[in-house]
Amino acid sequence: MKNPYIPYEVKIEEAWYETPGDRCIKTFKVTFADEKVWDDWSHLPGQCAMVGIPGVGESMFCISSSPTEKGYLRFSIMKMGKNTSALHELEAGDSFYVRGPLGNNFPLEEWKGKNVITIGGGIGQAPLRPVIQWIRDNRDDFGELTVIYGARTSADHCFKPEFEDLGSCGDACCHLAVDVEEEGWPHFVGFVPTLLMEVSPSPENAIAVTCGPPIMIKFVLENLEKLGFAPEQVYTTLENRMKCGIGKCGRCNVGHLYVCKDGPVFSYSQLKEIPEAFA
Amino acid sequence: MAVKKLSKDKVKEALQELTKFRLIAPAKSDEVVIFKQIENPDEAYLEYGNSTVPPKRVVFPQTETLFRFLRGSPELKEKDVEEEGTTVIFGLRPCDARAMAIVDRLFSWDYEDPYYLKRRQLTTLVGLACVEPPSVNCFCTSLGGSPFGTEGLDILLTDMGDHYLVQALTEKGEKLQETLSAHLEDAPAGDEKKAEELAAAAEGKIARSINTEGIPEKLPTLWEHELWKKVSAACLGCGICTFLCPTCHCFDIQDEVEETGEGRRARMWDSCMFSEYTLHASGHNPRPTRRERTRNRISHKYSYYPKRFEVIACVGCGRCINLCPVNIDILEILEQVVDAS
Amino acid sequence: MVDIEKLREIAREIISRDDVRQLIGYRQGTYGFRARPAFVTDPGEVDKLIFSPACVNNLATYITLEERLPVPRGQEPDLRKVAVMVKGCDSRALVQQMEEKAYERERILVLGIPCTGVVDMDKVEKRFPGVLARGEIVLEGDKFLLTYDGKEEEVAKGELLADKCTRCRYPTPLVYDQLLDEEVARFADDDYADVEALEKRSAEEKWAYWEEKFSRCIRCYSCRNVCPMCYCEDCVLDRLNPQWMRRSVDVSENTAYHIARAYHLAGRCIQCGECQRVCPVDIPLMELNRKFYKDVEELYDYEPGTNAEAPPLLSTFKVDDREDFIM
Ligand SMILES: Cc1cc2nc3c(=O)[nH]c(=O)nc-3n(C[C@H](O)[C@H](O)[C@H](O)COP(=O)(O)OP(=O)(O)OC[C@H]3O[C@@H](n4cnc5c(N)ncnc54)[C@H](O)[C@@H]3O)c2cc1C
Ligand code: SF4
Ligand code: FES
Repeated sequence: MKNPYIPYEVKIEEAWYETPGDRCIKTFKVTFADEKVWDDWSHLPGQCAMVGIPGVGESMFCISSSPTEKGYLRFSIMKMGKNTSALHELEAGDSFYVRGPLGNNFPLEEWKGKNVITIGGGIGQAPLRPVIQWIRDNRDDFGELTVIYGARTSADHCFKPEFEDLGSCGDACCHLAVDVEEEGWPHFVGFVPTLLMEVSPSPENAIAVTCGPPIMIKFVLENLEKLGFAPEQVYTTLENRMKCGIGKCGRCNVGHLYVCKDGPVFSYSQLKEIPEAFA
Repeated sequence: MAVKKLSKDKVKEALQELTKFRLIAPAKSDEVVIFKQIENPDEAYLEYGNSTVPPKRVVFPQTETLFRFLRGSPELKEKDVEEEGTTVIFGLRPCDARAMAIVDRLFSWDYEDPYYLKRRQLTTLVGLACVEPPSVNCFCTSLGGSPFGTEGLDILLTDMGDHYLVQALTEKGEKLQETLSAHLEDAPAGDEKKAEELAAAAEGKIARSINTEGIPEKLPTLWEHELWKKVSAACLGCGICTFLCPTCHCFDIQDEVEETGEGRRARMWDSCMFSEYTLHASGHNPRPTRRERTRNRISHKYSYYPKRFEVIACVGCGRCINLCPVNIDILEILEQVVDAS
Repeated sequence: MVDIEKLREIAREIISRDDVRQLIGYRQGTYGFRARPAFVTDPGEVDKLIFSPACVNNLATYITLEERLPVPRGQEPDLRKVAVMVKGCDSRALVQQMEEKAYERERILVLGIPCTGVVDMDKVEKRFPGVLARGEIVLEGDKFLLTYDGKEEEVAKGELLADKCTRCRYPTPLVYDQLLDEEVARFADDDYADVEALEKRSAEEKWAYWEEKFSRCIRCYSCRNVCPMCYCEDCVLDRLNPQWMRRSVDVSENTAYHIARAYHLAGRCIQCGECQRVCPVDIPLMELNRKFYKDVEELYDYEPGTNAEAPPLLSTFKVDDREDFIM
């Protein structure tokens, strides 16, 4: 068995900023330095990886590309601390290191034939992107796809060109929001949970997936309940400080669950049993 | 399996024999007993109660390299545990060996931890039965252990006065017994029976206890109970209880680079009682006070761990009680858990 | 000797006040001769309060240890006072904290205990091993009287007394709102004999000595956390970016830790000895602290924690300050 602490080197093919500011988000499109790694690599939407630079550190990020996008991986990384700042310094042609895939995935096999609603906020769209992409690439397996996404301002929206494409090609119904009024913004103004009520998707034969800041998730979950979604129909991801990513170092637990190993994807019915889940 | 006798006047030569391996034994500096590698049999201190720092540090070192690198070079050089060679831990207490057997489950669960498991494979555990319980706060018998417990051990030594009774318990143990054969004699008839009596007497001397039945299931139901605030009020948030616990196994991972560009990724013990343990880069901390951290420590040992690994992550060695600077007493907390409604 | 009934009565009065949130005192420990901190918020709890020579903890630490969480929106911050019991040495921690403006005097209510010395629990437990049932220690004249398991034993005071008490200059608290007993006159003084012995050793000897001690350190940080003067909300030791000290545990990082610790306490350590008491691997931390203490006294005629009005030593400059130690 491969040593799970040893990362693979990846080369950056392309890198671009999604959003500006102190906590800017940069997306990296990478491929393994050693092509043979692809033979052993397989991941599913929702899974994560430890990304880092030897000498700086490692942090957990979701793989924001779908396995249906062949030949590369994508990570969208918000600048937060030591490691993310160092990663932001890197450009096309540079390399960094990746260890994974880690954690569980969204059960897309089980969702076949259902309508899927994704509800994202800010960088929380990163784990939802592979879900959307997977559905687009297996379009006939799923019912309607509704994408709800918001950020503070339009400049803070990740993956902008993709949303435009998504709305116009008819693969999905897109609903975008900004928190505060801004000139020329044609879509919804307000918070994501409110937009969700506005869109008011039917719970029938549906699955709702939500990722974003904890406070948004809290209200989205409440509103989904109001809309008649049962806890088993609702999925989210949890975020905790992580180190090993493989259920050893102990720190990522919520109750008896290791978020790195048993998660990051959980159904709301699972989390309802765990008092610490939304701490 | 073979039962032998090691005469006390032959202990040194037996230890000398074992120095051909990496020999770890309790050693005393000032009043503190710590397991460390010994080169000279005189360093071993076998007349001890229990060590301050548990021998977990041998198989799970406080700081260990995962891999080395040179800045700018893509090559990562994995640490080879094999180089450490065959290791014998001589004279550890049954509770500390049992703790290793418990922690094995974590390190082999799902992903295998190559460093820990390799080291475990290379290590033979020679236990020393507790004829006298080392402390008033021993409560191993409440957790399925015993002063003469053999779980996790390869050999059990029992102090019979002028000699040790040597019982091999596993294949590894038999092999080691073989290595030591020149220093061993046949055990006197009746020794085994006498050892059983000593074991029963030692168990009887364990004065503290807790009935753990139902605690794993009950703990999650007491999440918001006022007891957590009360039992954690005096907590200093230091790492004594976790670092010195033979079953605590949490670690941090850090990179270190020298001016030469040579660096390593290493892991080091961490403690859920430290405030930055769960601190997010955003500044948010899901366990903001000592209350949540204490609740997690107890819940991890007595609820989360048994839920996943079917065994409570506590062996009743009493270290956290003896060494807590403010007399936080895990048995008192557990009693409150039992009584709480 | 503090009259326990009187102590409880005063405590009951204090905790019944509307402007007092909690009282920090002592109560019997869970086993043997140990005593431990008690946190009283309700008059019904005062009957567990005690004071005896077993009450070793310096409770001043808890004034700065408590986490300050953001006040939830719509709620008022709780500005009620915290009452705390302190011995002479402990009171100096309060004085020093206030000298450093860690908090305002009005935030606390001080119950001063004129102190005749506390025990060294290690010495007690070594002398009386295996005592599980709760025992009691009282001082009678120049003897400690220990009651346990239905037995009673007398031990000469000097045999069990904590080292720090043998050189205590301030047995009566230097700050208090209420004194729980008659003042105790100074019964000892500090001749720094131990520090001088250390100073006489050669550099090599000192190095070998400390290397062995520091090699034992497990960086549990109990010495830092128990210290009433270590109250930075964001300790440099925990900071990862920039990282001043590695988290890996080896002689060199441990030494760096202990040097940093000792330096940060220069001119601030009030000699309560808690760091050394709590160290699980018996590192004689007070030897370092006392060396600084002696230097500070000799160089600046300054004793930390004796005057809340005085500015902190290392934040002041006098024209006649000595400079001959600057290389
Ligand atoms: C399952 C999961 C998926 C994530 N996906 C993304 C993503 O797609 N995009 C993104 O921008 N961010 C994501 N994050 C958050 C990201 O991991 C943190 O922002 C990042 O670790 C901060 O690293 P740093 O080294 O810059 O911070 P520092 O403050 O320097 O932190 C040091 C170390 O602490 C740990 N750490 C600190 N905060 C966190 C945290 N919030 N979560 C996990 N570990 C932490 C990391 O090991 C980090 O290297 C995810 C977190 C988790 C748990
Ligand atoms: S208390 Fe002792 S072991 Fe712990 S950090 Fe301090 S010196 Fe090191
Ligand atoms: S990150 Fe180490 S156990 Fe989850």
